[in-house]
Amino acid sequence: MSPLPLGKPVAVRGLRKIYGGVVAALDGIDLDIAPGSFCTLLGASGSGKTTLLKALAGFETADAGEIRVDGRDIGPVPVAKRNIGMVFQNYALFPHLTVHRNVAFGLEMRRVGRAEIAARVEAALALVGLDAHGGRLPRELSGGQQQRVALARALVIEPDILLMDEPLGALDKNLRQSIQIQLRALHRRIGATTVYVTHDQEEALFLSDTIALMDRGRIVQVGAPEDLWFRPANRFVASFLGECNFLPAPSGPGEIGLRPEKTLVGVRAEAAEIRLDGVLGAAVFTGTGYRVTATVAGRELTALTGNDDPVARLAPGSAVTVGYHPTNAMSFADTDR
Amino acid sequence: MTIPDGFPLSAARLLRRHAGWLGIAPLAALLVIAFAVPVVSLLRLSFGEAGFTLEHFVRIATVPLYRSVLLTTLTISVLTTLLCVVMSYPVAYLMATVGPRMRAALIVVVLLPFWTSSLVRTTAWIVILQGNGILNRLLMGIGLTSEPVAFVYNLSGVLIGMTHVLMPFVVLPLYAALRGLDLSTVQAAEGLGARPATVFFRIVVPLTAPGAVAGATIVFMNALGFYITPALMGGPAQTMISQMIADNVGRQLDWGFAAALSTVLLGATLVLFVLFQRVFGLDRLFAGGGGTKSGEPFRLTSRGRTAGGLFGAVMGFAVAVFLIAPILVVFPMSLGSSPFLAFPPTDLSFKWYVSFFENSKWVGALVRSLEVAAVTVAGAVVLGTAAAIGLDRIGPRWRRVLETVFVLPMIAPVIILAVGLYYLFAPVGLVASIWGLAIGHTVLAAPYVFITVRAALKTFDPNLELAAIGLGAPWGTMARRILVPVILPGILAGAVFAFITSFDDVILALFLTNIRTRTLPKLMYEGVAHEIDPTIIAAAGLIILVTVLVLALDLVLTRKRS
Repeated sequence: MSPLPLGKPVAVRGLRKIYGGVVAALDGIDLDIAPGSFCTLLGASGSGKTTLLKALAGFETADAGEIRVDGRDIGPVPVAKRNIGMVFQNYALFPHLTVHRNVAFGLEMRRVGRAEIAARVEAALALVGLDAHGGRLPRELSGGQQQRVALARALVIEPDILLMDEPLGALDKNLRQSIQIQLRALHRRIGATTVYVTHDQEEALFLSDTIALMDRGRIVQVGAPEDLWFRPANRFVASFLGECNFLPAPSGPGEIGLRPEKTLVGVRAEAAEIRLDGVLGAAVFTGTGYRVTATVAGRELTALTGNDDPVARLAPGSAVTVGYHPTNAMSFADTDR
Repeated sequence: MTIPDGFPLSAARLLRRHAGWLGIAPLAALLVIAFAVPVVSLLRLSFGEAGFTLEHFVRIATVPLYRSVLLTTLTISVLTTLLCVVMSYPVAYLMATVGPRMRAALIVVVLLPFWTSSLVRTTAWIVILQGNGILNRLLMGIGLTSEPVAFVYNLSGVLIGMTHVLMPFVVLPLYAALRGLDLSTVQAAEGLGARPATVFFRIVVPLTAPGAVAGATIVFMNALGFYITPALMGGPAQTMISQMIADNVGRQLDWGFAAALSTVLLGATLVLFVLFQRVFGLDRLFAGGGGTKSGEPFRLTSRGRTAGGLFGAVMGFAVAVFLIAPILVVFPMSLGSSPFLAFPPTDLSFKWYVSFFENSKWVGALVRSLEVAAVTVAGAVVLGTAAAIGLDRIGPRWRRVLETVFVLPMIAPVIILAVGLYYLFAPVGLVASIWGLAIGHTVLAAPYVFITVRAALKTFDPNLELAAIGLGAPWGTMARRILVPVILPGILAGAVFAFITSFDDVILALFLTNIRTRTLPKLMYEGVAHEIDPTIIAAAGLIILVTVLVLALDLVLTRKRS
């Protein structure tokens, strides 16, 4: 398959969706997705990420706001005319059609010539490594293979946007990781603007150019994975993405966040610029190192340290120094959550 | 197995090992005596009363009149089946895409014709469709036609009447299949650019086809043996095989030929039944069945209906009106005082009900109908329940055989049972009392009880029985205090089926009663076949009332328990 012309930009403005007159599934969403980029909507269940995806696809209508693809408002455009590729959580393959016919379906709807359909389906199946399986029925394939058929079916129509709704949710962990790698490579190759929904933060960090973290119908923070990881907007972001310790700010009001791997305990804390007195909780061996807990000023902290750290030999309950470098401390604009 | 010396219990042990058969035996005996024997004796006649001959079959195959009746039967059955399928899709779609309350109302509307006596339905349709009927006056009133359109006493009349009552068989499995459809499958097709019509024909139809075909098979099987509807709503050109059988018994007195026709009809029905069982399994007959998808069931999203969806919903609504029209018309009409069947009635009056109750002919028939129904319900409940409980306690091979055998009376065309029982009962005088009819009705009704109780038993945890017996309860006490209360809803539902089967039956009554023992439906039939007078409408109103009361009672009793 020829690489796609660079994907289209997507702009969401003031999108609202109310269920049953009270619950705001989407509470004023603003989001810009650069052409050809991979954007992940990350959040817990009920955060509104799937509703936003379905609004993009056209399966749900919004109560207010607009969605622009390449500058054009697609609100009034019916689903069938949106030219959007969608990969469903349960793949939604047509159970009565072969793999080949499944992938060909969107091209048939676009009245593409028969020879061209055959060639493009062949190329799409080759892209996902299933060119030998065109004659099978979906139920004759494994979960991972079905997932790839769904992907080929969505890509073959050369969509303006590729939407994916927790497409790896039903797969086991090993398979998920290998498909993540393939997915990343595939996206680099075809360059479609992709919106990806997941609740799995590792998946989001691994795959995305941009992550939009959602909570209760709002986007809490949007940015590159490094932005969200190193410069979380608030406590919610800091604790949703990875682990985070919270300490009072050394000067002024508010508090700072500290990743466990930047939290120093015992001998290594002695050289730190900021040092606090703490009590050692426990040190649990995790293979690559120790997970150490300590209490400082009534707050429980977690530190990740190497497996050669002498702190592990101290008895629980010993007094220890806890320290960090100010450059590693993350400060939050708002401290209310 | 060896029994130790001094262990004289083999009788008791034998009884326990074969206790299941004790429950099965009564129903089995009834079905042998009052179903197998009469039907087989009848079928035997088709091969000649003295010496084997195939002359009757040769006649069916060669005489143009008989061939045309077979062809008519086939044509009407095929058309009815097609109509049922085509009209069921919009209703099933509407049911799947409305709110729960509207859905419940639609299910009632779909099932209503099913619960309404065939005579009430037929009467109502004739009143609506006849030359000076409601529909024609409406059409002429708005100037669509200047002369009455012939809707009834021809092919269209038969098709309307048969489609009306047989549609639930397709709507229900189709609805289940639609609900089993994964919403995202439909959305995937839309997302790939398919328009509503394409989604319907390329995705929805193939995926719901098993449900539709299962329903269509049942419709076709039933349609082949239809008698009352073509007799009352068709013309001479719509004579079907059942009418030909009745005619040969009643007027030509040619038993051999009637038997040969019965053999052909029963053979065709059984072939379809076996096919159905092979392809879909027997459970499908009663459960509808649907998909086994894990995804979200098909429903309407916030996007609302597409143009195609709107079309489907409007059509579905129109079909719903078609289904409920007879009831909506006949009951108000019975409350007018005009002798000319005005609709809507110009005034409210119980005049025709009074005339019904002042006429000993009608009252006698009503009382007799209730008597027969009471005997039938009692017999069917006892025999059906005992057989259902017994069936769980015998070996799996016999269980499967009997499960099929016990539903045969529901499958076989009623006309064959009617003629067979007539052949058997007339010489011994059972036709002159209500007992002959009650036995026939019990044969028809006991399978319903058997099925509903079997279904209820599936929810009965066998450990409950073991627990009760382990706590020291004898089997009888366990059954009375544990088993029967748990399966009571199933028994009640079966009793309601049994009552309505008996109270609405015309065909058996036509053959198994005489002028002194005739039931209400038979009396109505005689009236409708000649001319519909307002007392018949009052009788129809009464039948509706009784049916609704029984259904409401069942609903109240089931509600109270849950």
